[in-house]
Amino acid sequence: MYPLTRPVRLSLSRVSVHTGLHPELIRRFAALGLVECAADETGQLWFPPETVVRLARIQRLRGGLSLNYTAVGLVLDLLDRIRVLEAQLRGSERPWT
Amino acid sequence: MATDFYEALGVPRGASGEEIQRAYRKLARRYHPDVNHDPGAEDRFKEVSEAYEVLSDPEQRSRYDRFGADFRRIPEGYEERAAAGAGRGGRTVYTSGPGYGSFEDFDVEDLLGGFFRRGGRGGPIPGADQEAVLTLSVEEAYRGGRRRLTIGDRELDVTIPAGVVDGQRIRLSGEGGRGSGGGTAGDLFLVVRIAPDPRYRLEGRDIVVDLPVTPWEAALGATVPIMTPGGEVKVRVVPASSSGRRLRLRGEGMPNPRGTPGDLYAVVKIMVPKRLGKRERELFEELAAVSDFNPRGA
Repeated sequence: MYPLTRPVRLSLSRVSVHTGLHPELIRRFAALGLVECAADETGQLWFPPETVVRLARIQRLRGGLSLNYTAVGLVLDLLDRIRVLEAQLRGSERPWT
Repeated sequence: MATDFYEALGVPRGASGEEIQRAYRKLARRYHPDVNHDPGAEDRFKEVSEAYEVLSDPEQRSRYDRFGADFRRIPEGYEERAAAGAGRGGRTVYTSGPGYGSFEDFDVEDLLGGFFRRGGRGGPIPGADQEAVLTLSVEEAYRGGRRRLTIGDRELDVTIPAGVVDGQRIRLSGEGGRGSGGGTAGDLFLVVRIAPDPRYRLEGRDIVVDLPVTPWEAALGATVPIMTPGGEVKVRVVPASSSGRRLRLRGEGMPNPRGTPGDLYAVVKIMVPKRLGKRERELFEELAAVSDFNPRGA
């Protein structure tokens, strides 16, 4: 069997390597609900692939607007909603990437 | 960046620290690349951030006020030395007005705070995705092809696939916002808008077009030419076609790069001459006398 798609989940260390962020900081983001993650039976955290893009957005918002983490979470939620609404307005077949 | 820092923030030269902060916050929110997907927003955001970085620091601001755009190239204490050399012994006193220089919401512990500023700390941060509207005529969308676009201050050569539809997004990988600290650039998405056309109406990939015919062509049937975005085609009007009848030309609609193309619908529209000639009038009068056709029922 060959994998046909990208891995559907990333380990904490993979996310850390991709983003250059300390694993503890990523763990903290997860605890704050800024990024989605799931723990397996051994307690290891797994992240969806879009986490890398999301972490970049968190860093840009945090650094560029001096938002605290609560505010970053709110802004991310609102931006997600705007994206869905804009996609509906455009009547595009596919939602945003 | 060449712009004057005060102009960048839209404040007068005598603005207080508070006014400067207020102007900056407002502009930063408006032009932050994650909030504003316009390709020009990122540069504007950086311009505003640089202006604020200088004008919010009393020392840098006073140097900027005296030396203008070159303020960074003038060595520290230049005025003092110049004054001493001239033997006047004058001294510049830096004043620091109250209310600026420290902001409660600038978190010292912020692990990411340096982003967007020169020499920002932290690892690579990929750039944000950007979005620009690309307006095409129906023909351009039908044919596709290469096109040179001006996005902000850049020129891009873009290949538009034949058969793009309204609302479709064309992704230009790596043409979006710049990354920082060695991060990859974001993507630029071109959102296709198809300009309204007096001749062609689009329903998804189907194209609907009016087909004007004479009363006798509609009654007897005919083969008539019709313009489509792909050029002229012949349509066979079946006998006894009333106005509103849709004649389908399979596959003559918008091409589909990933499947079957749309269809073209020619909608019959019976036209009568504005003015009848003598003979024409006689024939219509004769037809009216002979025919018992009643389109209004019964």
